[in-house]
Amino acid sequence: MKTTVVKSSRHELANACLNVLHQQGRFITMVASDEGERGLDRFVVRYLFAIEGKTEIVLVESVIPQDDPTYASVSSWLPATSWAEREAFDLFGLRALGHPDLRPLVLHEHWPEGVYPLRKEYAMTQTQPRDESRSWTYPQVEGEGVFEVPVGPIHAGVIEPGHFRFQVMGDSVLHVEAKLFYTHRGIEKSSEGMDLTQGLELAERICGVCSVSHALSYVQAIESIAHTEVPRRAKFLRVLLAEMERLYNHVGDIGNMCAGIGYAYGINHGARLKEQLMQMQDRIVGHRFLRGAIALGGVANDISEEKFTIINTTMQQVQQELTEIVEQILSHDIVIQRFAKTGVLSEEVARELSAVGPAARASHYDLDVRKDLPYAAYDELQFAVPIFEEGDVLARFKQRYLEAQQSFQLIEQVIEQIPQGDICVPLGELPLYSYGIGITESARGENVHFVMIGEGQTIYRYHVRSASYANWPAVAFAIPGNIIPDFPLINKSFELCYACCDR
Amino acid sequence: MYAIVEIIQLVFLIAVAPLIQGLIKKLKAILQGRIGPSIWQPYYDLRKYMAKDEVVSIHSSWIFLVTPYVVFTTTIVVVAMIPILTTSTLLGFTGQLVLVVYLFGVARFFTALSGIDTGSSFGAMGSSRDMFVSGLAEPVLFVTLLAVSLPMRTTNLTVITDRAVASHTLFLSPPFYLAFLAFFILVVTETGRIPVDNPDTHLELTMIHEGMLLEYSGKRLGLMLWSAWVKQVVMFTLLIDFFVPWGISSQGFGWTLLGSLVVLLIKLVVLAILMAFVEMSYAKIRFFRIPRLLSAAFALSMIAIITEYLL
Repeated sequence: MKTTVVKSSRHELANACLNVLHQQGRFITMVASDEGERGLDRFVVRYLFAIEGKTEIVLVESVIPQDDPTYASVSSWLPATSWAEREAFDLFGLRALGHPDLRPLVLHEHWPEGVYPLRKEYAMTQTQPRDESRSWTYPQVEGEGVFEVPVGPIHAGVIEPGHFRFQVMGDSVLHVEAKLFYTHRGIEKSSEGMDLTQGLELAERICGVCSVSHALSYVQAIESIAHTEVPRRAKFLRVLLAEMERLYNHVGDIGNMCAGIGYAYGINHGARLKEQLMQMQDRIVGHRFLRGAIALGGVANDISEEKFTIINTTMQQVQQELTEIVEQILSHDIVIQRFAKTGVLSEEVARELSAVGPAARASHYDLDVRKDLPYAAYDELQFAVPIFEEGDVLARFKQRYLEAQQSFQLIEQVIEQIPQGDICVPLGELPLYSYGIGITESARGENVHFVMIGEGQTIYRYHVRSASYANWPAVAFAIPGNIIPDFPLINKSFELCYACCDR
Repeated sequence: MYAIVEIIQLVFLIAVAPLIQGLIKKLKAILQGRIGPSIWQPYYDLRKYMAKDEVVSIHSSWIFLVTPYVVFTTTIVVVAMIPILTTSTLLGFTGQLVLVVYLFGVARFFTALSGIDTGSSFGAMGSSRDMFVSGLAEPVLFVTLLAVSLPMRTTNLTVITDRAVASHTLFLSPPFYLAFLAFFILVVTETGRIPVDNPDTHLELTMIHEGMLLEYSGKRLGLMLWSAWVKQVVMFTLLIDFFVPWGISSQGFGWTLLGSLVVLLIKLVVLAILMAFVEMSYAKIRFFRIPRLLSAAFALSMIAIITEYLL
């Protein structure tokens, strides 16, 4: 993966970014950092773009002085950057001039103004009094018969916290505003100064169900700095772990989407198969969520031939059952009535907001990091990337099913083709203040990690853009026009994580 | 002397209601490959709710406090009007179908008010949806009851059931089956089950009946749930009275009564199994498609009425 850096003045950022965009660039994320300690004045923003059709990443980079921490916003031209720029304002105090909506995103309204926790002088132990003077503002719809329905952050079921403000007319939704980041744990801040192994443990805990993907993004970022060539066997094992993770997520989500319409058959078989896969994972790597399997420079433990046999048998059984179950689900009239044409995400919106993963592919946005920026052993294996045109709940359902089928094939290929050899090598030299980018495809889309090395081989700056973070803004566009009772179903069809969005 | 029997059947139905609820839950769990809670769980739940403290929103008014008693009382009055073990009932002299419908209407009216009363958005959504559904279900229920009562030439429950028991040709007429199907759809609607409402959901945005109960706790929640369970067996019993009444005695004591009791229990269990299967094999339909389901019931009853005159 080639990385090209384009330097730009902070006033010309939008032009520089649009230039990259015109060269088939796809916005991935924007990383802000406080690099005063390495002698810069003082902040740096880096816009990351993937170039379609090439295995190349372009960074548009600009230094922002301490005295005037402002820069020209890109989001008016590229809506996908909106959240990243709001976040940079919340955490670093970098004001994006011309940003149409600089409301607090990560820190909510009760965090005092002018306190920027990701600046280096802010200590992790500091606490802040609650500022009651500001209140949350959001777009409101006015008119006769328009009502507002607040939902969450505490829900009737045991699920993650998120607040949704619906503007409705009867049961039809006109607008929904999501307020997330209730589970902001300051992961990026707390990683600073950690040694790299600790950092890996932290990376695995960003998300409950994407441990492998996050860990892999993190180690790939560091390995790219150290120019470490991971042994081939480890690369194959990484594919195996990543596909096992995708599989249990997709199988579980297929069941979960049935929960959105109260279809007991789908709910229970989905849950049962997911459990079967997770118990297998427990036997293979000793952890149901596959934690502790990835290591810097390779994988933590080898997988023996007997364990491959266990995987093979389980996979064959699960594949057969999944096929039968999905056939049964999709032959049910009510299921089709509820799924089809519900929660349509248009391809245009998906592209504008740089949506990722199965949700983007179900809206005819053909992207998959495994193909576009291949990592681990994906370039040596055969698999297809299914896409759909409709962009509705049904398309996302089928998308998951077809992707699961590809995962079965990938796992089979890994077991057939895996070479013998080392599973881990020591890391090479990590120069001070050098940085790396790791991107992997999780069950929800690409997880992007940016790591910059500090003194004594520690983390200086760690930025995580999870797949959920990229897709949440798109969900709000799939809701209007649908009815409120369909919201849980649409939300489940995206199956986004709150914790790894909030970090 | 009949009063004792009439009181026994009243108490019996109220007492057996949680068991039927527990049974349906257990059956659904088994059908889904789960172990599920014990069939006695609703009784444990009731005992727990009755002993628990209550939290009442400061924004609520007397309506919120009074509703559970109103709902429970009206439900019991309905129970006192319908033939269960024998066709002679405590309130048999008023035993009109129309009254049954409107007593349920009163209960529903108060439940909907209490949903709005606390100012919670889910309560209000539940109320508005319940009103939408019942606004359609009530006329359909009337037409269906008409289809049932027309062959018997009366709307008096005692007489209908007496004549149904005595009739040997009841199940030979086509209207009987049409009305049965229509009434079954209404039972599913009125008991808030899939495909109309999902009683097991935790998704507050999709709730209909459960949404209105979200703000209740403690004793009042217990009463609301118990009323819903009693209403469920009342609907089952009405179905039995109209369509499979054999076994109900007109004036029974001793062994006759015990026999009726066993037969009724068997019928309730069969209905519970049927309900569990229906819930298992359907998913919840889109909210705005409920009218179609109810219009199907309406059409069925209309055809039943017309064929009644033609044949």
